Amino acid sequence: MIYLDNNATTRVAPEVFNAMQPYLTEIFGNPSSTHTLGRQMKQAIDVAREQVAALIGAADTSEIVFTSCGSESDNWAIRGALSAKPDKKHIVTTQVEHEAVRNLCDLLESEGYEITRLGVSENGELDLNSLRDALRHDTALVSIMLANNETGVLFPMEEIGRIVSEKSDAFFHVDGVQAVGKIPIDLKSTEVDMFALSGHKLHAPQGIGALYLRQGIGLQPLIVGGGQESGRRAGTSAVPNIVGLGAACKLANESDVHERIASLRDKLERQILTTISNTLVNGTSAAGKRLPNTSNISFQYVDGQNILLHLDAAGICVSTGSACHSTTREASPTLKAMNVPYTAAQGSIRFSLGRYNTEAEIDRTLSVLPGIIKKLAEMSPY
Amino acid sequence: MNQESISQHFFAPRNVGDAHEPSFIGRAASLRCGASSRMSLQIGEANNIIEAKFKAAGCNVLVASLSKLTELVQDKTTAEAATIGQDEDLLLNALGGLEPDRFSCTTLARETLLRAVRAYSDAARSEWIGDQALICTCFCVSERTIEETIHDCGLMTVTEVTRACYAGGGCGSCHQLIQEMIDSFGVRRPGAALVSPSEDV
Repeated sequence: MIYLDNNATTRVAPEVFNAMQPYLTEIFGNPSSTHTLGRQMKQAIDVAREQVAALIGAADTSEIVFTSCGSESDNWAIRGALSAKPDKKHIVTTQVEHEAVRNLCDLLESEGYEITRLGVSENGELDLNSLRDALRHDTALVSIMLANNETGVLFPMEEIGRIVSEKSDAFFHVDGVQAVGKIPIDLKSTEVDMFALSGHKLHAPQGIGALYLRQGIGLQPLIVGGGQESGRRAGTSAVPNIVGLGAACKLANESDVHERIASLRDKLERQILTTISNTLVNGTSAAGKRLPNTSNISFQYVDGQNILLHLDAAGICVSTGSACHSTTREASPTLKAMNVPYTAAQGSIRFSLGRYNTEAEIDRTLSVLPGIIKKLAEMSPY
Repeated sequence: MNQESISQHFFAPRNVGDAHEPSFIGRAASLRCGASSRMSLQIGEANNIIEAKFKAAGCNVLVASLSKLTELVQDKTTAEAATIGQDEDLLLNALGGLEPDRFSCTTLARETLLRAVRAYSDAARSEWIGDQALICTCFCVSERTIEETIHDCGLMTVTEVTRACYAGGGCGSCHQLIQEMIDSFGVRRPGAALVSPSEDV
């Protein structure tokens, strides 16, 4: 199996599994307990909090709150920010956010909030002037992702933060789920107020996330109950998962695989563009403006789901921007916002690499892909 | 649910390409899912399908459905092909069953076939050089027969005409023409008996 779908989820790293294993077997206890076992668990959480804080450059470990997933972090940040500014009813976000933010903003709109959804260029980049124009005195929140999950295009979080803090007193929330572990992040040098991350995108298990909350920002909890996480997020701490997230952050921080992943991605992308006709990359090719592991490629005039199924039959896992949802099969909002031509959006495939991909796997992918596309192109009615 | 047949037809689709000339082409597309398809039929003098080919950019179910349909209509008459195109269950059963949320993919495939048959029918009608103008090309029903049937039985709808003389029971391309004839000549005679439904259309 060749796994090129690391933006969807990642395999749990052996280092992560090894760190978690004791907490799933001999070491147990409720970290809220005062006895030895409880203290041991609390210590494990403290270590993990330091590891997460180190990876994203938090100024203090108290800025990290563990949650169950990225979506919870996003939901809490957005709902909490709005509750903290009850007089302000305007939100600025983008057309290309992950569903966790996009669908929540749609819901908030129906609840009476006014939403400004910033568009993107054909390269998937944000126009910062439109952000400047969108900010108002009654803007409660700006929620803009760091890396787009489909194209890997990066938004300039530092610059956005400066604009938001200069032009408004809105909170600045960042969905950082797709970026953490893939690029260096230093939140203390930015104006970011809240930053969501998810463990399973960086080789921790599914079911663990975190929200970075800048010091001084008190958010009303989303989940009310016990006093866990300093009263900010109730629910018994999932110690094994938290330890796993910490270990995954440590692994990403100390790892030297990033350059190798980038060069494999570049090879894959370059070869596809040169050997297969009617192909184009969705998302900017400018250096440093796209995640180094992601390549979203349109195979024009053929169907993305067909490509996916043929690759799957060849043992290669990818995803498509035209996923067939039960009754509708619309091109992704991200590609739509980028004005990708219809026949190109229908044939878009996302390759997202990870630390376990080898050059042999990329070569194998490059060897089977042209035949698949040729076969489908012969069938194309266009 | 048995998906074997979908998978077989998807990974090894039959009859991809274009039928030999002279061929008749049907195209269909879905605004909802973005799929696009075409079928071309080479049709012999006895209204028989000599060759059926398709092309498609759409999901696996659409591809499998078109592949299956080209097999099903091979050597059939256009009337039989039209009947196949209108029968939802026939294709679903031929594909071994499907989840309901994918029925629309098979509908698009059947519509592609029907449009190809209609393209043939429209051409055949306009090229017809017999004594009587031909209206229903699938069942070879002339204008005069339809007129007489409408008059004699006092028919008011296309469905009634189809029941009475088969006209319009195939691809449906002549429905508009039949309706126009009803509008011009059709006066239901008081007390005229409705024709009983035909069983073997």
